[in-house]
Amino acid sequence: MIWPAFKLSLLVVSIATVLISVIGTALGFVLAKRQFRAKELCDALLTLPMVLPPTVTGYYLILLLGRHGLLGRYLYSLTGWTLAFTWEAAVVAAGVMALPIMVKSARAALESVDPRYEMVSFSLGKGELETFFRVTLPLASRGLMAGIVLSFARALGEFGATLMLAGNIPGKTQTMPLAIFEAFISGEDRQAQSLALILTFTSIVTIYFTNILTRPSKSA
Amino acid sequence: MLNAKIKKEFRTNGRVTFALDASFVVQQGITVLFGPSGSGKTTILRSIAGIVVPDEGKIELAERVYFDSEAGTNLPIQRRRIGFVFQDYLLFPHLTAAQNVAYAIRSATPKGRRARAIELLDLLGIAHASDRRPQQLSGGEQQRVALARALGSDPAILLLDEPLSALDSATRLRLLGEIVDLQRKSRIPFLYITHSPADAVRAGDCALILNAGRIVQEGKPAEVFNAPRDAAVSRAVGSENILAGRVRDHNEREGISVIDLEGCDLLIPYNALPKSTQVTIGIRSDDIIVSRERIGPTSARNLLEGTIKQVVQDGQQVDLLTACGVNLKVRVTAQALHALDLRPGVKVYLLIKASSCHLLS
Repeated sequence: MIWPAFKLSLLVVSIATVLISVIGTALGFVLAKRQFRAKELCDALLTLPMVLPPTVTGYYLILLLGRHGLLGRYLYSLTGWTLAFTWEAAVVAAGVMALPIMVKSARAALESVDPRYEMVSFSLGKGELETFFRVTLPLASRGLMAGIVLSFARALGEFGATLMLAGNIPGKTQTMPLAIFEAFISGEDRQAQSLALILTFTSIVTIYFTNILTRPSKSA
Repeated sequence: MLNAKIKKEFRTNGRVTFALDASFVVQQGITVLFGPSGSGKTTILRSIAGIVVPDEGKIELAERVYFDSEAGTNLPIQRRRIGFVFQDYLLFPHLTAAQNVAYAIRSATPKGRRARAIELLDLLGIAHASDRRPQQLSGGEQQRVALARALGSDPAILLLDEPLSALDSATRLRLLGEIVDLQRKSRIPFLYITHSPADAVRAGDCALILNAGRIVQEGKPAEVFNAPRDAAVSRAVGSENILAGRVRDHNEREGISVIDLEGCDLLIPYNALPKSTQVTIGIRSDDIIVSRERIGPTSARNLLEGTIKQVVQDGQQVDLLTACGVNLKVRVTAQALHALDLRPGVKVYLLIKASSCHLLS
């Protein structure tokens, strides 16, 4: 029970982290560097999963992506496949729950880059894309890395939304937090302890690295 | 040659808080943009760069239209070919000096870019620091790298926003000379914002004086600073006369050095500068004594003969603009103006103590 849960968690969280690193950075960039009217509303919507009870977010995800969901029904009629109760659902749940942290971190990290660096790059004839990858991104890298580490931790601890959307199928959708819950309920204390220890250790490492990454550098 | 006509209003809560309305030409050479804080210097620079969009006007550089409100043209900053140099350098902190410069260089192999970057760094005398990061460089070195980087993109004009104001005075002076050399070599116009009248006179081929969003006077810096046309210009340029000259002679025993101002000689306190060194001298306009008659020997070492060209009155303050080989403005009280019957065309004698002549460089 420990190993399958550990391996699944690692797979789910890795994929989710990669996806939200890219998506979160892109969204953070738009929020940090572009001016548009509904900006703070967009920010609020993206932050919602951070404040809503995870089960509510999970419920919305079912409404959206379930077999009869708003988008899920088209997916089902087109491919005969549905997301709910698959390991991919765990990726989506973990991703959606961790995305707000990534967007917030990315927005803060990208906003902290002096726009005049970008201006210099433009004046040297460089386009938006080249400027982003060669100037903005490297200058924001510490904050972005911190955001990625925190998102990883959040995705790893995901419970409520995963339970709603992916269920709790051992060996298929049962991630570590779900396994702990089940072990505890069925009185298998040793298993619960081992899993809890693994997650605690991971969390300490995460906080440690986040602190190192977000510490202001002396040269800045 | 840059031709610009820029109108721009800034509003807070619907009320116009600042209005810029300036038409000017930037010729080959170094054009100095001078004026008090908030007079619109930076807005002008940013409009030329394409960072600020004017409300109205036209900006063109050598037939290339950057901006034209009537035709709806607004060339993006990437395509304007401008070099921008800031007071705080803004070198990319994650790149070395050579990488910073290489970043700007277009269309070549990585090897070619690096070679050209080193060449530019060498031109500015800091090739030895090529592989150092900005954090490991002094302010003067960083500004040299920033200049090399700005030139690396082969710009059609260089815009400098107070590039020396964060540097100590020795570095400042050396770098100012290098900027002048750089302009002569690169043969593109430099538009240079400064707060220092001394820098303006030393480096500028032409000066534009800006006050409250308008260009109030333009011309040779020595003329503009020492003969402000009206009270607004006078307030903008300050009360000091700024004179450029060369060391002609020394008399160490007598404690005197002679400066050739190309028009007249000036005795100043002894300094050890080699002969024919270029210097800038500052004389406060209220340190000069005016007399209608040539008076006998006094302790003041300089007695200049000239005529009043103009009288500029600003409340109780009166500035006489005099021509005595060089232009000098002299501040007197309204009472002195009336008692001596000072008016344009009148012949005057100016008494200046050697110790009132300050060596600015």
